[in-house]
Amino acid sequence: MRGRTRRLRDDGAVLAIALMAAAMPPQVRAQSTPPTSATPVLDGGELDVREHDLDNGMRFLILPRPGAPTVTFVAHVPVGSVNESLGTTGIAHFVEHLLFKGTTTIGTIDAGAERALFDRMDAAHDSLLAVMGRRPDPDSVALRRLETRIEVLEDSARAYVVPNQFDRILSRNGARGLNASTSYEDTRYYVSLPSNRAKLWFVLEADRLRNPVFREFYTERDVIAEERRLRIETSPAGLLYEAHFGTAFRVHPYGVPPTGHMDDILTLSRPQVREHFERYYGPNNTTVAVVGDIDPDSAVTWAERYFGPIEPSAPAPPVLVREPEQRGERRVEVRFDAESQLRIGWKIPEATHPDAPGLAMLANLLVAGRDTRLYRRLVRDERLATAVTAGTGPGSRYPGLFTIQATPRAPYSAEEVEMAIYEELERLRTTPPSPDELERVRTRLAASEIRRLASKEGLAFQIVASEALWGDWRETFRAQERMQSVSADDIVDLLNRYFEPERRTVAILRRGEPTPDDPGGAR
Amino acid sequence: MNRFLLLLAFGPAVTPTPTEAMVPMSFQVPTEDAVTVEHPEGLAAVEALEFPPLAFAPPEALEYEVSGVHVFHLEDPSLPLVDVQLFLRGGISNFPRDRLGTISALPYALRNGGTIALPPDSVDRRIDLLALQVGVGQGGGGISLSLNALTHRIDAGLELLQEMLLEPRFDPEVVEVWRIRELERLRRREDNPGSLAFSEFNRLMYGDHPIGWVLAEDDLAPDRLSREAFRESHAEILCRDRLIVGISGDLTWDQAEERILRFLEPWPECEHELPKPPRPELREDRGVFVLPKALDQSTIVMAGPSGIQQGDTQEYFASRVANYLLGGRGFNSRILARIRTEEGLTYGAASVWTTPRRSDGIAGAFTATRADRTIQVARLLLEILGDFRTSPPQQQEVDEAVEEIANGYVFAFESPAQIVSRRMVFRAQGLPDGWLERYLEGLREVTAEDVRTAVRDHLHPEHMTILIVGDPDQLDSGLATLGPVFELTAEGEFHPPVDPGSDPDAGPRSPR
Repeated sequence: MRGRTRRLRDDGAVLAIALMAAAMPPQVRAQSTPPTSATPVLDGGELDVREHDLDNGMRFLILPRPGAPTVTFVAHVPVGSVNESLGTTGIAHFVEHLLFKGTTTIGTIDAGAERALFDRMDAAHDSLLAVMGRRPDPDSVALRRLETRIEVLEDSARAYVVPNQFDRILSRNGARGLNASTSYEDTRYYVSLPSNRAKLWFVLEADRLRNPVFREFYTERDVIAEERRLRIETSPAGLLYEAHFGTAFRVHPYGVPPTGHMDDILTLSRPQVREHFERYYGPNNTTVAVVGDIDPDSAVTWAERYFGPIEPSAPAPPVLVREPEQRGERRVEVRFDAESQLRIGWKIPEATHPDAPGLAMLANLLVAGRDTRLYRRLVRDERLATAVTAGTGPGSRYPGLFTIQATPRAPYSAEEVEMAIYEELERLRTTPPSPDELERVRTRLAASEIRRLASKEGLAFQIVASEALWGDWRETFRAQERMQSVSADDIVDLLNRYFEPERRTVAILRRGEPTPDDPGGAR
Repeated sequence: MNRFLLLLAFGPAVTPTPTEAMVPMSFQVPTEDAVTVEHPEGLAAVEALEFPPLAFAPPEALEYEVSGVHVFHLEDPSLPLVDVQLFLRGGISNFPRDRLGTISALPYALRNGGTIALPPDSVDRRIDLLALQVGVGQGGGGISLSLNALTHRIDAGLELLQEMLLEPRFDPEVVEVWRIRELERLRRREDNPGSLAFSEFNRLMYGDHPIGWVLAEDDLAPDRLSREAFRESHAEILCRDRLIVGISGDLTWDQAEERILRFLEPWPECEHELPKPPRPELREDRGVFVLPKALDQSTIVMAGPSGIQQGDTQEYFASRVANYLLGGRGFNSRILARIRTEEGLTYGAASVWTTPRRSDGIAGAFTATRADRTIQVARLLLEILGDFRTSPPQQQEVDEAVEEIANGYVFAFESPAQIVSRRMVFRAQGLPDGWLERYLEGLREVTAEDVRTAVRDHLHPEHMTILIVGDPDQLDSGLATLGPVFELTAEGEFHPPVDPGSDPDAGPRSPR
């Protein structure tokens, strides 16, 4: 029976909303792709990315995309917690927070007066650290006096502050998604704007790169401490994550999360943070993705005008530290007021290594979907766990871990789940993935190649990350292509080479009180 | 490690902020090619900017009635993808408590439980081999289902979806996987303080109302999750009159219509009306509930009843502006500007002002802070809420808020699926056509006086229920000054005062 169809509303031409002008812009629209009988494969060549390098080394990737008249900006600086050392962990994250505090003209009514107060409060902070370092017992009265002095001086400086003005300007202009993130090896600053206001980003971001002022420093330090409490110290998953990488990486900075240690957060100083900014930030160390409804010529003009005059900085020092070879299984236990969780990680090479696509394929075969090896065994059939995930990390540039995480189900213990995971990996070695298993993953990957183009924000992050890691934004698409060619023999070979017990670090969270020598740092 | 994270978004999120003299109209803007001109920097450069009007004709989802079902369609051939969204009226609020388990599990069972002809594994394999994305969810008074397919696989995708929805197997093994997962989730309910706090707060505020219900062991008893129980709920919800359909992407209406007709053909008519959701009786008395958890950071949630419902009324639009100014605009909201930017006492804080379509909502705030400042921050939140009544926003502040929202309005049209989904929600909620446009007009009409009235009449710090999940041993002093104190258990039971102190009013009392 063919049903009845009627159009319920016919406005003729769609109504332009009140705030927008009637003039029609040139419609930015990609070529319509006709339905085909096979899933299309992309290699990035379909994307019309305009690459533009300024004389000072700053790189822009400009990609017009169809859709609403909005444009997304992602500024990428290749600095994160891998560039830190003990005593100053979390410093890259500090820079990220403080870059929202404004510049010499934004967020202030008198930057000179502020600076004079900064010098005084930073001197008091130096004295405070000196008192804290006295042994056996720091002078608590002196500590309190210095803390109060810093608070009073920061309050005095606040008289010159226009709070959150950087935010205000963007928000007033309709910005969405204003934020930033610091990872192990990258810091990204991102926002989307209505496209008629795109120029505002160039003005503000150039000013922030050139003239930042790290005001409200000690108050923001406390905010960062609260962030650490929220993400790690009150979170079972956060605590276990920190303990897992801290045990697997004893030398390489992948052992410390980007949030940093609490004691470092509470003792970092403004001059240290400033120095870190000057060492790692500069136009020659910044790549920007601009994706959306934007005229590339205008973007290039504004890039030249606002970022062009900024002097390049000295090249950022490379990260040369390498994690020594692991010579045996490592295990760590975290005690916390929560039910058990399990993480197992095996040392693997960096994401640019030829084995990386095979390892990504392996993660898919194990857990991506209900009909996968680990999900079937742990969750569906034996019901030892309620969830299982797998992936690689914590970064891309340096050798990391292939991690499997599971949520054990009572009454099963984390160890029982752990053993089942090892058995299943062994079974994969002896019963390699079938053509059907591989085909399903490949089909899903091919479709994800199309889906990844649907979001401006997603595309901006992908191309800027690819450029940072590979020096070529197209590699993100080629990497998917390489995954497609991974064979069953490749999977077995990877299992043989990387999944030996001596390369393994196991972290288990259990309910209970922390002990003083708990390496998990549950406190 | 984002610099900002909202702990939980209760209502429609809007944006952050304003500055002075953003666009002086008399300023002569240098032409684009005048590269020799000395360009101002920083704030001066910002103030010198002028922006052309945003020329944009928002794409509109068109509404059709197909075989008696409302269907929204928006074509977008830019990628070879098609999104199909289904919304079925009928959620946990429409059924008694003894149906909570089945209704909660229904979306999962439809997605994973196989079909009469295909066991669960076969369905999963077909989904993988067709590269489909099938999503299910619950909320907004109904069940949501979605299908994303490459254009050349949309027919096979719709055929499979139809079979999954209309001929479900409700495989007992799959249901059991869901059941034991939920039991384990129940065991882990206290692991994360944030989610525990919000779930407990809803229980305190709404009591024995669907919003306050927490899935318990009784709800997960095997006999409540029998195949017969699923079939009963399935028959009541998966019928034509409950359904709203959205289709967007790489299909013209003619192409879409043909497929929707086929998809709808076997859907049965509904046999009877859905039971109406009960009206909640919200807790109105001040009370401070402490749920002990030995952590260095406390979660604080506070709110009281608000009588504003979503609709085309002055007070509704005023409440949206008020909520935005109070805690919905990020860093420049009153709450975050004070507690985070000025005091450094939190990473995230926001207001809560819910405006359900057909019942009263709640208004208040939430945050997380270090344990030894918990009471100080709770007081600060109450003070900010109180100040919002005694020092309400002036017209300029209201105008700036509306300007921020209006300038970002274009983000409501970022994807065809988003546009279609919004129309479906409006239809499901019984909101009029053109509600989005009306919403913006309504905000533009809001005066400072409207905001004052809405705040005065509906934001009542003195009647708020306050929940603290934290370590009683680490709290700063003065808990009893916040109100009568009760110790709460994670099972929702409460006991007389934790810390009556010297406050004569802090003795045991009925909490509701």
